[in-house]
Amino acid sequence: MTVSTLHDAPAATTGAVVPLLSVRNLRREFGGVVAVDDASFDVLPGTITSLIGPNGAGKSTAVGIIGGGIRPTKGTVQFAGEDLTGLPPYARAERGLIRTFQLSSQFSKLTVLENLLAAAPHQRGEQFRVLVFGKRLWREEQDRLLERAYELLVRFSMFEMRDEYAGNLSGGQKRLVEIMRALMANPKMVLLDEPMAGVNPTLARAIEGYLLDLAAEGVTLLLVEHELDVVERLSDNVVVMAQGRTIATGSMAELRENEEVVRAYLEG
Amino acid sequence: MSHAFQFYATTLLVYLGVDVLSVWSLNLQYGMTGIYNFAWILFQSIGAYTAAVLTLGPSTANTGFQHFILGTSIPFPLPLLIAGAVAGVFSIPIGFVALRRLRADYEATVMLVISVVATLIVSNVQGMFNGTAGLSLIPEPLYTFLHVSTLSYSWLYVLFTAVVCGIVYIFVHRVTSSPLGRAMRAVRDNEAAAESLGKHVTSVRMFAFIFGNVIAGMSGALLVQFIGAWSPGAWFFVETLIILTAIIVGGTGNNGGVILGALLVPIVFNEATRYIPTSFAPAAIVDSVQWCVIGGLALAFLWFRPQGILPERRRRFPVPPEYAAMAAAGRYPPHDERGATGTPPVAVLASETES
Amino acid sequence: MLLANVVVPSIGFGIVTASILALAAVGFTLQFGVTNILNLAFGDVMTASAFVGYYVNQAGGDIAESILAAAVFGAVASWALNRCVFTPFVRRGTKLFGMVIVTLSVGTIVQNVLLGAFGADFFTFQGGLSTQYHVAGMTFSTLQLVIIAIGVVAMALLQLLLSRTKLGKAMRATSANPALARVSGISTDRVVDVAWLLSGAMCGLAGIVLVLNTTTFESTTGSSFLVVVIAAAMLGGVGRPAGAMVASVVIGVAMEVAATFITPTFKEVIAFGVLILVLLLRPQGLFGQASSVREVAA
Repeated sequence: MTVSTLHDAPAATTGAVVPLLSVRNLRREFGGVVAVDDASFDVLPGTITSLIGPNGAGKSTAVGIIGGGIRPTKGTVQFAGEDLTGLPPYARAERGLIRTFQLSSQFSKLTVLENLLAAAPHQRGEQFRVLVFGKRLWREEQDRLLERAYELLVRFSMFEMRDEYAGNLSGGQKRLVEIMRALMANPKMVLLDEPMAGVNPTLARAIEGYLLDLAAEGVTLLLVEHELDVVERLSDNVVVMAQGRTIATGSMAELRENEEVVRAYLEG
Repeated sequence: MSHAFQFYATTLLVYLGVDVLSVWSLNLQYGMTGIYNFAWILFQSIGAYTAAVLTLGPSTANTGFQHFILGTSIPFPLPLLIAGAVAGVFSIPIGFVALRRLRADYEATVMLVISVVATLIVSNVQGMFNGTAGLSLIPEPLYTFLHVSTLSYSWLYVLFTAVVCGIVYIFVHRVTSSPLGRAMRAVRDNEAAAESLGKHVTSVRMFAFIFGNVIAGMSGALLVQFIGAWSPGAWFFVETLIILTAIIVGGTGNNGGVILGALLVPIVFNEATRYIPTSFAPAAIVDSVQWCVIGGLALAFLWFRPQGILPERRRRFPVPPEYAAMAAAGRYPPHDERGATGTPPVAVLASETES
Repeated sequence: MLLANVVVPSIGFGIVTASILALAAVGFTLQFGVTNILNLAFGDVMTASAFVGYYVNQAGGDIAESILAAAVFGAVASWALNRCVFTPFVRRGTKLFGMVIVTLSVGTIVQNVLLGAFGADFFTFQGGLSTQYHVAGMTFSTLQLVIIAIGVVAMALLQLLLSRTKLGKAMRATSANPALARVSGISTDRVVDVAWLLSGAMCGLAGIVLVLNTTTFESTTGSSFLVVVIAAAMLGGVGRPAGAMVASVVIGVAMEVAATFITPTFKEVIAFGVLILVLLLRPQGLFGQASSVREVAA
């Protein structure tokens, strides 16, 4: 991949692979502060892309815009060929774009298992006109969801904790629940905002492993991350933001040679 | 059992039934979905007034001393059902204004103001529901048809109340034990996360609001057709506090717990004390003591036991036998336990300390 | 011309109402701004303060002493409520809605203690001072001029305090970001105490002048007025004293002018209409920030 300043069209270096996510010229102001100035980048399907940059670069805001919780002042977000502008977060989740949060956002008074069950979209049992006629109309759906939830719990080694209230978990366990929840929806793409922040090193390594497994299974990931060695290990592509603008993209090795990137980190 | 005692008992039982419906309805909104419906009493009142004007017959009857809208005689049990429906319909505009991602206390205060102003409007517009004097002589359903003694009728009404509670319970239970109930609780616990996982948060909240208020409306109809009268004095905004305290005391989010709350708070602390002989203390003092007790109960439970006597149940799910056996043996399903890149599951997590 | 004969005097009433409302709304909004509590017991403390003033008068005190007594009682009672009830609940982890129930319960208890102690009858509090003055087509009694004066002076003093003094700056800082204020060395506990004493004094003043203006009152008078107070506070932006002042004038005058065209008992419904519009169009009020009313993550 070539280093580019992203105001050129993205180089189709891997043949005609259509990006799953396409962000163009995003801009967002808060009061007088410009949080995101001009951000543009692509994420190819089945890859892990990291979004890095110094503090205040606008990374979280950009992710918030992509997830739908923040409305951009300008710019577009295209996902799976569709323009997401104006769609609220739940509509994006229904289309396979799931966002996780920096601060743990578990459903505290639901058990871990319930957290997972609640995460699946399009449940017939959530429609009044269905459930009012009794459990038999949604029992099968729930059984299938339970199976998937149990598999995830086993895979992430949380099976024993399934009946614990999510609010009582440790920080690391909450982070795992967050990831498992995102997976219940069989997403096409997951947005992860600093998934390993505040987590002990052993668990951080485990999460890295889980993320790699996910990408291998075809889930596209966009991470906001600070630890540059993690970024290097995980990412197929890295996008650098500084002061609200995307300034470069490429592999970590390439970016280390990029003067603008180095300057941004020293100054930012 | 003396007749007087039986009348007392039937009254308490009907009130209990009405209060059980009340706590279920507010619990659906507040306990399960986190909707701070401080206008709850308004919806019970809408149901009561609806049932009244649908059964009172024309306002010109009985020397026309009451002035109200509508005024027809619709046969049992339609007024009850229509009352619920009307309360549900009113929920829509009110929900539109008040359920808009506001802070909890802001939302509660807005609901409260709506409740107060509704009381103001109804009290001052004479022709609507006869102003502050309210409506009276509301007929008991099927009374003339049944030809039984007043006492027997009262017991029949208790039975009717129980049946209504039973039917409503079926619906309430179906909702609360379904994935929709889970979605409601998820929205309560973390709206942003729920939305990012595909829940239509506004729809879920509106549903809980409407469904709860339909039940509230029906409870109002049930009550008004028993006691025969309804006036603004019956639905000042603080009445919501009684039901809310019942939920807090009994157990927020727990349908069984709130029944206990309904028994303790409105019945024991409110109604039962009403019958303290007036030689003991003048009526105004008894009334004010009741309110102080309610307020005190709310404060005490919020301080010592906010989850209530019977807290929300933990929901468990059946584990298929293969899983159970393997989990017990410490082994995991035969398909690849290590994931595509061979990362071993990290067993340290189960005993992990805060990182 | 006929309209002017009717509307202009009502503007006069509006100014009086606005003064009373301003005292209450600013006190209410100050409590919210500095401690983040929507104090639904506010109206009942107003009533209690009015009772205190009334009984001082009954015991032989003059109007000035009654007013002073009410203000002092309001200040102490509000400060005590915050110290002994509200803050402990907040420290114990009671969340926003729980605090609504707490303040409402306290208000209900206060109101019912008053009811039990003084009965359900109406009381009459004649303030005297009834010489009529005519100003620009409006008529004011001496008492009403006094009320307006109290309102204006209190607002001016508060504005000066908030903008010019160290204490005022500390209060604004605590209001904006308590954690940051504490870290910067501000004794937030002391700031909170002062805020509740000040706002409590305004609560007491509002209660007594409300009662003096309407001359009859009973145990529910204050809490009935609370709806209008909330409307003014929300219109001005909760937590913003200057906003509450402006909103009070708007609502006070609007209420009284409208009362000339519709049944006077409907005045409060005007305030309600304003509140609904505010909620639909701009929930944070004229001067508030969106973040103060939006759903918070925790």
